[in-house]
Amino acid sequence: MITLTIAIFLLGIIIVGLLNRYPKAAGVIAFFVSLIPFFALLSWSSVMNISLPSYLHFLNFETSWQYNLGPGTLILQITPLGWFFLLLLSSLFPMVILFSISFFRSNAGGFYAAMLLTMLGSFGILLAQDMLTFYIFWEIMSWSILALVIRGGDRKAIVSYLSFGALSAMLILFGFMLLYFKTGTYVFAEMHLDASNLVLAAISLIVSGFAVKGALMPMHVWAPHVYSKSEEPFVAFLSGGLSKLGYFGIMLFMYGVVGFSLLSSWGTFRGVPLFGYTLAVVGAFTAFAGTVLAVMQDDLRKLLAYSSIGQLGYITIGLGIGTPLAITGALFQALNHTFFKAVLFLAAGAVYYRTGKYKISELGGLGYKMPFTFLATLFSIFALAAIPITSGFAAKWLLYEAAIEKKFLFVTPIMLIAGVGAFLYAYKILYGVFLGEPRYDVKEAPLSQLVPMWILVLPLIIFLIFPGWFVDLTAPILQGYGMTAIPHTPFMINTSLAKYNTLAVIFGFIGTLLFAFILYKSKPQERVEHLDNYLAGEPPELYNYNIAMHASSKYYEPFDEVFYPYFKKGAERMWEIILAAGEVFGSGARKIYTGIVGDYSIYILLFFLIMVGWWLLW
Amino acid sequence: MVNYIDLTIQILVAMGVTALGFAIGMLFNGIARKITARIHNRVGPPIYQGYIDVLKLFTKKTNISHGWIFDFAALFSVAGIALTFLFLPVAGVTLLSGEGDIFLILYLLAIPALGFALGAGASGNPNAAVGIMRALMTMLAYELPLVMVIIAMMVYYDTTSLAVIVQKQANMQWAIFIPVFFIGALVADMALQGMLMEKPFDIPIAPHEIASGPMVEFGGKHLGALMLYKMMGIVVETTLFVDLFLGGGVVLSVSQFGWLAYLVNFIVWFLLILFVFFIALLINAVFPRFRIEQALKFYWKYDAIVGILILIWIFVGVTI
Repeated sequence: MITLTIAIFLLGIIIVGLLNRYPKAAGVIAFFVSLIPFFALLSWSSVMNISLPSYLHFLNFETSWQYNLGPGTLILQITPLGWFFLLLLSSLFPMVILFSISFFRSNAGGFYAAMLLTMLGSFGILLAQDMLTFYIFWEIMSWSILALVIRGGDRKAIVSYLSFGALSAMLILFGFMLLYFKTGTYVFAEMHLDASNLVLAAISLIVSGFAVKGALMPMHVWAPHVYSKSEEPFVAFLSGGLSKLGYFGIMLFMYGVVGFSLLSSWGTFRGVPLFGYTLAVVGAFTAFAGTVLAVMQDDLRKLLAYSSIGQLGYITIGLGIGTPLAITGALFQALNHTFFKAVLFLAAGAVYYRTGKYKISELGGLGYKMPFTFLATLFSIFALAAIPITSGFAAKWLLYEAAIEKKFLFVTPIMLIAGVGAFLYAYKILYGVFLGEPRYDVKEAPLSQLVPMWILVLPLIIFLIFPGWFVDLTAPILQGYGMTAIPHTPFMINTSLAKYNTLAVIFGFIGTLLFAFILYKSKPQERVEHLDNYLAGEPPELYNYNIAMHASSKYYEPFDEVFYPYFKKGAERMWEIILAAGEVFGSGARKIYTGIVGDYSIYILLFFLIMVGWWLLW
Repeated sequence: MVNYIDLTIQILVAMGVTALGFAIGMLFNGIARKITARIHNRVGPPIYQGYIDVLKLFTKKTNISHGWIFDFAALFSVAGIALTFLFLPVAGVTLLSGEGDIFLILYLLAIPALGFALGAGASGNPNAAVGIMRALMTMLAYELPLVMVIIAMMVYYDTTSLAVIVQKQANMQWAIFIPVFFIGALVADMALQGMLMEKPFDIPIAPHEIASGPMVEFGGKHLGALMLYKMMGIVVETTLFVDLFLGGGVVLSVSQFGWLAYLVNFIVWFLLILFVFFIALLINAVFPRFRIEQALKFYWKYDAIVGILILIWIFVGVTI
């Protein structure tokens, strides 16, 4: 059954690729093919102890299967952790494809083919049960992303993605080799690790390799280039979905393969493994620096890229702390980030589709022209800024609680101040693009772009009302690590420090909003143009109305002036220094190859002498 | 089963206390203007001027709107600030949910601010946009020292619930009597000055530079709603301070004295927030205004360094 489905999937990729000249048809076929992972997900829901009605899982997939390929065996099996991340990716993916149907006017077949191939790779990663399978699918995913980055056509983006992708793959491969050297097996379940330094080195290498994909500082350099120079639907999937695979990898190896008790054996500080502590501090730094850099950007996509880096930093903090509370918070943040960041990127795409602009200072006043795009953006921004009328708050709250519980006195203020910084860039998006002086006379985005955005907003509302359902989802994952889910009811989450009751917030907000509404409706009002007040009713022609009323150019100028000196020499400078050192070493090493046969024979002689001498001395 | 009579009573009490909160806010506005006038050697308006202003604005015949996003300001600011008030322990009583978590309160405070910012941005006036930019940057500035002190208190009291912090300060064991939190209270009071947008941190409003900033396009009932927000904001922010450092105004225990305790606690709470507001007013009356980068420097350099010292103090104290 599953093999047949994968065959259909591959066939779909080929057909879509061949239909390059008919973008609409290719898009529709790609959309139907892209639904397959979601149906697979539904049929596997028993892994999470969810019993769905039978009409929702009419396809019955095996939960585990193997392929025997000469030298090795590919072992695939659905696990709770894999199911959770598959939920994020497979619900985001069809929406992104649906959005692309109207977004691309030509030359789209290759896009859909590469996207489907990316999804196939991610699918394999999430199901892999041994390192070999994991690495093969990781490479499939990485290379198909490269194809999509090349479509963007920016040289710097391609080079930075290629070099950092290679770095990531090398780090992961080295880690896998060390693990194989230590244990003699590729299969996760058969590994019996001990607290040796070799294992520590291996897990450090693997985690830093995944950190590249998760855009953790200082490995984030590729992300702003790629995010700002690739096609919008792909970026939405990359930032919302694929970046989570890095965190899936970190979780799988930190807590699944190595385990909490083994991590603790390399030293703990106040009950938190030092390894996790380091990760949490790096995550907090990423959250803060990403936020500050996001505030400074003028390009909408670069802003969202840095915001992505900052928000993903929170997941790292949660995974570093490693208590049930923190892991729940990290997974919740991953879920929220998947949906709100995808909506924001798609909305940026819709704005670009209508206006052809990405610069915040060149946009403005679209709120009244594109009301539904604006409202979807507004809601995602509420989630991003963790306003308690979306599910974004519950995730951040869990992370703060986890940090306070473990007495992270210096990390928590940084997390909170990064949260305040998020208000700054969130308002920059809202004001610069949607509010202020109307500058463009455009129509609302097409329906096939609005529908995906609004479907992606739905989870943010569902998990606002029922945060307990989310905790139910994490229960099997935590069980696998020998932890229990945090105490909860559907509407309430309890921790040792406090409790969060969503019903109180929702009904309180509805009640007070009703009160405000009555107050507001008490008197009639009239609608006037925004210039009427500003010019005191005088006709605009008198004042030669060409004065820019939109103050979005250099919006946070004082902020930039204060923070720019500290962020001037960014991470790119660091990598350039490393590169320069590598070049010095490389050009030195190149001098060995002189091209003279005599030199080479001397090398051989020297090598021979060393070998013989070593053998004799031994 | 839900007890509907209890629920109805609870809702009515919540409505009554919220109305009282707005009333106190308006009174504070009058008091503030009177005191500032006396310091400036003027006569000043009567103490009930706040009530007159709000009533006048809500009964105006012409109300100008720039569209539905503009109206968000009026709706969200009043609703958000009332919601925040319901989650605060007032004189030891929390009206909603029984547990006022500090993180929730800090983020609830963002709802009215964001709604206000949306409305101001939708007005299309550059002064409003500049005002919002200044308001957000002031917020970024004062939040750092404030959250440092609050997190130190959370770790010290081993809870993140404001209600529990108030409970643990019962019997006059106020946090301000602990030396480290006395310093913390000073740091937080400076942050409160920025939160209340009083001088020297009234950068967002700055009437002489940007024509009242975010408020510039609002009039009639919209301005009335914003005035309600600002006045209630004074009550909410001073209550937060009183809850954190001054025991929330709880002097008599309810189990011992019954309804008398509620009354006395309420009066003590009122006097305490008046006192805290009075200090802010005195600073406001004599200082000129900072520039925005000076405010950032003040909070992140001087206030935050003291905040870091407090954190180190608590950090070391917990370990030993």
